[in-house]
This record gives sequence, C-alpha cells and structure tokens, in this order.
Amino acid sequence: MQSWRRKSLWLALLASWLLVLLGLFPLLRLAVPTSPRAGAPQGWPRWLDAELLQSFAKPGELLEDGPRPPQALRGGSCNWGACFDTSKCRGGGLKVFVYPAAGPVSETRRKILASVEGSRYHTLSAAEACLLLLLSPDTSTGECDPVPPQWDGGRNHLVLSLHPAPCPRTFQLGQAMVAEASPTVDTFRPGFDVALPLLPEAHPLRGGVPGQLRQHSPRPGVALLALAEDGGRWHVAGTDFSACPWDGRCEQDRGPKQTHPGATLPNATFCLIPGRGPDVLHFLQALQAGCIPVLLSPRWELPFSEVIDWTKAAIVADERLPLQVLTALQEMPLTRVLALRQQTQFLWDAYFSSVEKVIHTTLEIIQDRIFGPSAHPSLLWNSPPGAILALPTFSPSPSDFPFYHLQQGSRPLGRFSALIWAGALGQPPLKLIQAVAGSEHCAQILVLWSSEKPPPTGWPKTAVPLTVIDGHRKVSDRFFPYSAISTDAILSLDAHSSLSTSEVDFAFVVWQSFPERMVGFLTWSHFWDEARGGWGYTAKRTNEFSMVLTSAAFYHRYYHTLFTHALPKALRTLADEAPTCVDVLMNFLVASVTKLPPIKVPYGMWHQEARPPPLEPGGPGLRQEPQPAAQNCINQMAAGFGHMPLVSSRLRLDPVLFKDPVSVLRKKYRSLEKP
Amino acid sequence: MCASVKYNIRGPALIPRMKTKHRIYYITLFSIVLLGLIATGMFQFWPHSIESSSDWSVQKRSIRDVPVVRLPADSPVPERGDLSCRMHTCFDVYRCGFNPKNKIKVYIYSLKKYVDDAGVPVSSTISQEYNELLTAVADSDYYTEDIARACLFIPSIDLLNQNALRVKETAQALAQLSRWDRGTNHLLFNMLPGGPPDYNTALDVPRDRPRRYFLLSSQMALHPEYREELAALQARHGEAVLVLDKCTNLSEGIPAARKRCHKHQVFDYPQVLQEATFCVVLRGARLGQAVLSDVLRAGCIPVIIADSYILPFSEVLDWKRASVAVPEEKMSDVHGILQSIPQRQIEEMQRQARWFWEAYFQSIKAIALATLQIINDRIYPYAAISYEDWNDPPSVKWGSVSNPLFLPLIPPQSQGFTAIVLTYDRVESLFRVITEVSKVPSLSKLLVVWNNQNKNPPEDSLWPKIRVPLKVVRTAENKLSNRFFPYDEIETEAVLAIDDDIIMLTSDELQFGYEVWREFPDRLVGYPGRLHLWDHEMSKWKYESEWTNEVSMVLTGAAFYHKYFNYLYTYKMPGDIKNWVDAHMNCEDIAMNFLVANVTGKAVIKVTPRKKFKCPECTAIDGLSLDQTHMVERSECINKFASVFGTMPLKVVEHRADPVLYKDDFPEKLKSFPNIGSL
Repeated sequence: MQSWRRKSLWLALLASWLLVLLGLFPLLRLAVPTSPRAGAPQGWPRWLDAELLQSFAKPGELLEDGPRPPQALRGGSCNWGACFDTSKCRGGGLKVFVYPAAGPVSETRRKILASVEGSRYHTLSAAEACLLLLLSPDTSTGECDPVPPQWDGGRNHLVLSLHPAPCPRTFQLGQAMVAEASPTVDTFRPGFDVALPLLPEAHPLRGGVPGQLRQHSPRPGVALLALAEDGGRWHVAGTDFSACPWDGRCEQDRGPKQTHPGATLPNATFCLIPGRGPDVLHFLQALQAGCIPVLLSPRWELPFSEVIDWTKAAIVADERLPLQVLTALQEMPLTRVLALRQQTQFLWDAYFSSVEKVIHTTLEIIQDRIFGPSAHPSLLWNSPPGAILALPTFSPSPSDFPFYHLQQGSRPLGRFSALIWAGALGQPPLKLIQAVAGSEHCAQILVLWSSEKPPPTGWPKTAVPLTVIDGHRKVSDRFFPYSAISTDAILSLDAHSSLSTSEVDFAFVVWQSFPERMVGFLTWSHFWDEARGGWGYTAKRTNEFSMVLTSAAFYHRYYHTLFTHALPKALRTLADEAPTCVDVLMNFLVASVTKLPPIKVPYGMWHQEARPPPLEPGGPGLRQEPQPAAQNCINQMAAGFGHMPLVSSRLRLDPVLFKDPVSVLRKKYRSLEKP
Repeated sequence: MCASVKYNIRGPALIPRMKTKHRIYYITLFSIVLLGLIATGMFQFWPHSIESSSDWSVQKRSIRDVPVVRLPADSPVPERGDLSCRMHTCFDVYRCGFNPKNKIKVYIYSLKKYVDDAGVPVSSTISQEYNELLTAVADSDYYTEDIARACLFIPSIDLLNQNALRVKETAQALAQLSRWDRGTNHLLFNMLPGGPPDYNTALDVPRDRPRRYFLLSSQMALHPEYREELAALQARHGEAVLVLDKCTNLSEGIPAARKRCHKHQVFDYPQVLQEATFCVVLRGARLGQAVLSDVLRAGCIPVIIADSYILPFSEVLDWKRASVAVPEEKMSDVHGILQSIPQRQIEEMQRQARWFWEAYFQSIKAIALATLQIINDRIYPYAAISYEDWNDPPSVKWGSVSNPLFLPLIPPQSQGFTAIVLTYDRVESLFRVITEVSKVPSLSKLLVVWNNQNKNPPEDSLWPKIRVPLKVVRTAENKLSNRFFPYDEIETEAVLAIDDDIIMLTSDELQFGYEVWREFPDRLVGYPGRLHLWDHEMSKWKYESEWTNEVSMVLTGAAFYHKYFNYLYTYKMPGDIKNWVDAHMNCEDIAMNFLVANVTGKAVIKVTPRKKFKCPECTAIDGLSLDQTHMVERSECINKFASVFGTMPLKVVEHRADPVLYKDDFPEKLKSFPNIGSL
C-alpha cells in the first residue's frame, strides 16, 4: 500500500510538474501581448483563390492593340527623330557650318568661333553642312541677329548661347535645337536640346586650368562643407554644423573671415549649391576645386546630362531634407567620397576646363546622335580620358582601346607589329629587321617606304611576314592608322635605329603592363627656360625625362587613329615642316590623353657607337641636340594644346635582376647588361 | 496550481500517517492532475486550432469576400495628373524622413471591392499579375504595415489594364483612399508589358539557334503606313527580312496569339523571334509594347521605331547597349543602319538584351523591385546604385576592376610621407631605424606603433631627436593588423610601412621609393620582392623568395602605399583573412598584396636592386629547417587567401624601378640618387 501510495504520489508530483511546464508556456505566450508572431500571415494576404484570378489582359488583347498612325511633326515638342534630318550627314558624318558674325565680335563669341573652326567637324560651306550653328547674340549692345539665310524653319540648326541671351529672339525657334547654359528643366527637351555649363566670362579658349585636386583623398581636417552664397562666394561651414548652413537659416554664425571672395575656390569635401538660378556658376567652381557638388533640387538641367553620368561626380539631393542630407554626407563611406572627388576632376578636365572643350563636347553629342548605334558607349563618356579623346570610329568595343582593360577585364593582344619608317635610304636595314624579327612577340614587320626612290627588292627572309607600304613622304605619315597593322602594340622604328632582340622583348613585356603609355628607349626632357621665357627641351642625359623618341618606342595603335583624326591640322602640318617636331607632337598627344609620363626601359650604350654619324634631314634624329627651330616647335605645340601636357618621370623600368650580383645564368634578359 | 504543487512537495513527510480517506484525496488529486495534463496537451495543440479559428479569417481572405465599398456617383474625382510634376515639386519627401538604411517604406492599401451606386463593380477586383506584384512588394525590405511610417503608398486598386476599368469611377475610388492627398507619394502601376500568361517557359532554352532572319517584324495590329514600309523593306532585301502578320485561315482551337503568318507560311510565336537578329518594335496603341518583352526574352535585339517611346526603366537602364533606336522618319533606312553595326557589337547587344530581360523583366517580382529601387535611388541619391550595377551583365562585373584611385595624377612632392614603424620591444634597433629614416628629405612624420602591452615605451627623453614629429601609438592587443590601422595621426597620403629591424636601406633608396610611389600612387611600392608560383605537382600555389626574374608581391617590412589601403585592410578585408592573420601572426604582408592587387587590378612595383634583407625569412636562426617551415606557412597563406578571394589577384611582372641613370656610365655626383644598392 505504502509503496503504491508513494508511487502514485511521485507520479502525481511528476505529472503536476509536467503540467506546470507545459501549461505555463502557452499561458505566458498568451500573457505577452501578441506582437506580430513569426509565421503568421503578414502584409499582403496570400489569397486562397489566387490561382483563380484572372490575368490583367486576355492573351489576345495585348497583341491586338489598335494601330496608331506615324507621328506628325510638331514644332513645339520636337525630338531628334522628327526634327533633325540625318540624311544630310550621310557619308562624311557631322559637318558643321557656323554663320559668320555680322557686327562686332565679342570675346566669348570669338572663342566659340575659334573652337568650332578648330573642330574636325567644321566646314566652310553651308551647302555641305548637316548642322548649321547659329550663335546667340551675347552682348547687350549687339543687335539681335535677323533670321539667317538657310533657316528653313530651324531644321538642322543648333542655336548656341553660352550666356543667357540679353535680347528676346526675333524669330521662332521652330525645329532648331537649343544649346543653352543651364536651361530650366521645364523647357529642356531631353535628347534634342543640349544643356551647356554656365561659363564665367574669362573662361580660357584652350587647355584651361587643370583641376585643383592634387591628391586623391581629402586632406585630414579639411572642412566638410562649403555653402554657395550669392555673389560667387563660398561659406565654409566646417565639420560642426549643428545649426544648419541652409537657406540663410543660420545667418548668425556666418563669420566674415570664413567667407571667401568669388575668385577663390572652395576648400571643402562637399559643396552645397542651392538649386536656384544665380548659383549655377558655383557648380563649375566646385567641380574644378574637386569639391563634390551637392545640388539641392536644381531647377536647371545639369550640363551635358545626355551623356554624363552625374551620379558619379555629384549628389543631387532634396533641399527639403537638410538634416538627412547632412547626415548622409557625414557618414558617406570613404570609398564613395574618393570616387566622387576623382570623377569631378576627370569631368572638369575632359569637358569643362576650356571653351573649346565645351564646344567640342556639344558637337560630339550631336555626332553621337547621328551615329546612333555606333556612338560612344557610356563608359567612354564617363571614364578617363573622356569621349573627346576616345574616338568611337576606332572600334565599337571598349576593350580595343588602351584605356579600359581594367573595367572590361581584358588584356591587350600579346604580340606587336614593328613599323619601320624608311626615309631616303638605299639599303634595307637588315640588322634591325633581324633583331626585331627575332623577338618571340613580333607578329609582323611593316616597312613604310617614304623615299623618292623605289624600294629595293632585296628584303631579307624573316620568320614573320614583312610588308612594304608606300608612304607619302610626309613625316606625319608614320602615324597613319594603316589597316595592315593588326596588333594592339606598335613598335615604331627608324631605319637607323639600333636595337637588340632582348631589348625589344623586355620593352614589349613592360608595355603590356602599361598599354596606354609609350614605352621607349631614348628620352628627352623638357624644361622651362627662364632666359627665353619659353619651353625648351634637351636630349642630354638627365635625372628625369618627359618624352621618348618614336624612333624606337612601343605604343598602342589607337594613338595612330588619334594622331591622324583628332589632332588639329595645323599641328600636323607643323610637324611635317620640322621633322623633329613629330616626336614632340606624339609625346604631347599621349601625355595629354594619359596625364602621365612615358616609360623608359634600358638601352645599351654600345648602340651609340654603332649609330651612323650623319643624320638624314628627312628623318627624326636619334639623339641629336634639338635645333633652335625645333626648340621653337615645343612652344608652338604648347600653344596649340593650350597648356603643357608633358609630365616628367624620374625612374626607369629594368628587369628584376638587372645588374644584380647574381649569376648571369639566372637572368632572363642577360644581354641587356652588356657594358 | 502552484500552491498545490508546493503542498505536494511537502507531502512525502506526511504520507505515512495518512489513512484511507486520504487515499481518495490522492486519487482525486491525481485525476485532477491527469485532467490538467490532458487539458495542457490540448492547449499545446491549440495554436493549430487558432489557425482553424483563423479559418474564419481565411474565409475572409478569399477574393470574393473582400469588403465592398460603395462609391456615390457624386464622390470627388481627382484632378488630372500634373505633367509638370518633378520629384522636388510633387513628391513629399518629409514622409520618407531620416532613415539610417536609406530604404523607403512602402505601404499597400488593403484590398477592397468598389461598386457604384447601382452596385455594379467598378473593375474586376484584382488581376493575377497585380496580386503577384503586391506580394513581391510586401515580401521585400521596403514593405511596412504601418501607414504612418510609410513614404510611398500603393493602392490595391488594379490599374494594370486601362481597358478593363471604368476610368471615372476608378478615379473616384483612388480619391477616397485614406492618404490620397491628390496622389502625393502614390505609385500607380499601369499596363505592364508582359507576355500572355500561358507562356511555356521551357521553350526559352535554345540559345545558339542560327538566326536565319536579319530583321523580323512580328506585330499584328500595325497601321497600314507601317505595313507598307515593312513590305517595301521585305521586297528590297528579300530573305533577310521577314514581316509577319495575323493568320487569317487558322483552323479552330489554335490560339491566334501563338501563331504568326507570312503569306501562307505559319510560324510559331514567340519562338520565331529566336531566329532573328533584330526585331522591330513599332508604335502601337499604347506605346509600351508587349512585343518588346517577347523580343528581349528571345535574345533578339529590339529595333525601336517609335519616337516618343520612353523605354522601360530608361532612367537607369542604358538601352543603347541593348537596342537600336531608329527615328520613325528613317524607317526605310533601317536595314542600312543595322547593317553598319559590326558583328561584335551585335553579339554584345544580344547578351545585353538577354541580361535586361533576366534581371528586370522576366517576372512581375523583378519589375516591382526594380521600380521601387529606382524610386528609392531618387529619394536617397547618395546611396543610389551605380550605372555599372544596373547595366553590366554579371560576366562583366565579375571580370572588371574599378580602381578606387583611378584619377591619373602625381601627388606633389611637398606632401611627403608618414613612416609607420611597428615594434614590439627591440628598442635599440628601433632607434636606429628612426634615426636612419629621419634622414629622408620627404619624411613628414614618424609614427611608432608600440605593440607590446606588457612594457611601456621608453621615456620621451630617450627617443632620438629628429626633425619631424614623432608619435607613439600604443595598441590594445599585440596584433599584426595594427600595422595597417588607418590612424588619425597619418596626415599624408603616402605611408611607409617599415619594420623595426630594417636598417640597411639608404636615405637615397627611401627617397627614391617615395618618388616612385608618387608616379604610381595606386600601387604597393616596396623593396624586397617575392613571387607566387603554381606548383603543378601539388596543384596549389607556392611562395617563392629566390632570385627570380619575376615579382608579384613586395614585403611590407619596407613598402610605400596609399593610406586608403589601410582603411580597406581594416574595414573591407574579405572573409576572415584579418582574423586569420592575427591568429597566425604571419602573412599580413601577403594579405595586403592580395587586397591591393584585387582592388586595383595592378601589379606591385619593386624598387632598387636586391640586397640581403633582415626580414622574417632571413632571421631564421635555426637555419634551414625553420626557414622551410616558414616557407610552407607562407605558401599556405597564399592558398588560403586565393580561396577567400575566389581568384588569384596577384599580377606577375618582370620589371623593377630604378633611377633613370642607375648604373649608367655617368658621373655619380650628377645623379639624383647615387646611393642606391650600395650597402
């Protein structure tokens, strides 16, 4: 009995504990106010009969849409397809005619005219032009232009005004496109009009001031914010902005010493620019200063918004959310700040720093519209060196250019074409051909025969194909984009050049790491000559260099296209007249694209002795001291480019074990070390 | 119940004295307990019955049972949509407010059935697609149930098909939504392009079918003017152009939507689209064409001939990469325009068209999420998704590198560099390094990272007197990653990481290293170089420190780099590499090499000739054996990091940087850096 009782008692005990355990939890669950329970249906219900729901349209209905007639031409809301006649541009692409000025020409207008005339699209005949450019009157004194002769309702016209027009237009714009500084978003017709930046009066014609940014990341301790104020001033707010620097709401803490006069550029990470009209000028200032523009609900269209991806360089924020914007700026990740800063500088330098760039960008946009599918891809517009310097006619694929291999995950082709320029010469340069053909990377040898005499017949047998091209006896010919060039890399040579196979091999391997630069053996350096007040350059051996001689250099074949199609004709003529100038010109061109110095690789001194002493007047010299005439060339080039693009370097790239105290057998390029 | 339990606990002591009547008591207690147990068991299963009580609510969750709202005939009609609306004029951003995640909150009105005065429904309650769309929104991060917190409102009134609804009454229905307020912050979905629902997705597979037709038009209801133009095109170009139309003599039972005809030839639609390179999208009744969606899915390149057609998501999608827009006026030239596109570009466009379809149009969910993302990007522009993220297909994203220091510029020399010496307790050697480094002209600051927690750094007076500021940072833990911390004290962009035993570098060598860094500010510029090799026998990577002709890493015992990489190392190092390095007390330099190469896609620059360095590999006191275990460890690091990065980012090069006149036959005293490779 006892045991039964005890057992039952224990059982009861156990059971009651179980009861407590089991019972308490659901009770607790009930006691806690039911916050949304996991798994419970939430939000939009899952309908029981979802399967039975009808489709929004019957299968046939979508396809049976009623037809609609083609669009009629409408003057007010023109678009590219309806109001621009591209048939005129067939064949030669864009040809621009600009109406001559009637009265006195203002400074800005002169700059625009010069820019258009310097463009590769310019034509002097209104008849063959497919775009007629009408400059809006820009002086308050000047009379408003009458309707131009070939007006034709404005068809294929572009009315360009860098500054808001002071006098009302005397005629209807009709079907003309408008390129206007900072147009309001309400009247702007996307894809038809072109939004220009509002330039200051004294904007330079060419070259222009480079971006102010000298380093990638912001200096520590630099102010976070600068706020644009009326009158072209900047109010630097610093990192403490408990009182918001907004809309004059914190007028009281504006210290006079914090305010910069209009001429100086803001020194801050972000530049707040109110969206109202008069502050448009601030936008370019901020861009130049590398101060990330934060546009507060701009009422105007951002310049070149058709092609430039402004989200990479500026922040368009809502002016109604001051605290949120400020917090977002403060907490912006460093990576994004870095990217935005760098993009401001790239854009400034590529499209805005001079009147010429602004005009050329405008024309390039129109050209892109005409090109349609073969226009610049967005990548070419939005990454260095920019669309003016990356010609879409070269290739539709960005990975063919030397600039986009990283973004595209591609590499340059693994071989090179040697292009030997033979001026007045009786004998084929046998030794050179053999040295070059001996390289495992050599794909072909092209001899550009530029002499009056017919080319000799005794060309040596080589492992790689050898082709003789008949040139036009102009020095600039050597940079013509010959269709025979099938590789990305070109080894440009003179018949007099002297190179060894291992020098060629090593230089090519180096070039593959730097496909956008020139890799050369012999160098020149430029300097500012105080005494003469101009630039000079020397072939003397110095501790630095800024040019490599094209008589022995690797570079990308794209530079031939750029040299022939993008350089102003005047500069090429100049190079033809003074042959040593062609080296300077090519170096200027590559430097202005890359903004970087060329690369020097080791060159055996024993070549010097082997070099034939007399130099033909027709060919650029190997190591001759530039003549006074040639010294002048660099200044003419600098004037033509509007600035000095050359950059100096203090290093040379050698093989890893170059002249190291280790067995020569270990070394791959041992013959480079010949004394 | 608790009380009874307590009683029971005390129970056993009393039991012996209890008599029979107590037995009854026990039995009663026992049965009570048992009952309770059963009841609890029942209760446990109750949640299921709660579900069954929500049987009642599920009943309500049938479409047929949604509440009915009667719209009086004279209820207000909202104004017409304001075409001049802009984000900053018509959108009330205050509702979105501050949001640390930069995500908008979206509210969906509950479903109701609207009837007019006569009780006739205004529209069909909800379509399958709209239901799917709202489900996708409700499942996304954007969704909120709290109408007060929402900044974007989606009515559950189905407006997808304008033909199926009564416009005025629907407008009235919209106007009576609780937060309508003239439509501010409301998002309406109308007329989504989408194929007929009986699509067979399995047909989508064949990819590399030969494209027999160059240009194809498959639309049925076209204006006669377009038809004429198309017919003329076909006449001119023959086989290459195929113009299809409605089938007139189809036998019964075959859905007309699935067939197209050319003369008497019958084609299966949409399969026929896969056989064309370009497919025409012409202007229809509503500009947005369902055919665009079919064309994209078939991998055919759409040729848009509709001048004012705003292509879907054109705000973020770059349609130039996936389609060809031809002005309506140029329709007769379309063949010539398309012919001028090179084959490579055509392939690129096909790939792009397919990617757009897959990413943004293939399901209602994809469409809904892309729409919300675009609105989100407008409201939080500083957190917006980039052009590349929207447009680059995954294959490009995978292979591409976007260098964080992409701007080509040479920082000014005047900026100088900050030397960071990591030290533990080798004070004597440290002081020598400090003295040596302080001779470098461009040094602007010296930072000593004191990694020994057990010992205080020497007193101020004992430190060498140098011309630049010297700061000592004490760390909380002896970790190798302390060397790469982005200290606030670093004011220059250039950082020289140097070990406390590197005393063999001359001032010229260090200064030259800095000059080289200025020309390559996005790279690691260092002195001792190392190489990684693929070991074919073991099928894994191997670390190499011999005298090789190639280099792929530099040791950070003496290296210049941009201080941004400190930030990346500390905060953005992938996977568990950072902890792994700290745990193993090794390979922090290999990790840095991986990180920089991965983010920039560029090789390191080794400077100056090789010399015997006092470095981890060389201090092997026990000789060969220790040296070998060290090499094995380093090789393991490379394999480990390569697996974390998912790729081998290191780049092998055959060059190093020397001064222009290095070892040239030139007077030494005229050279800028004569003292190189001399020690």
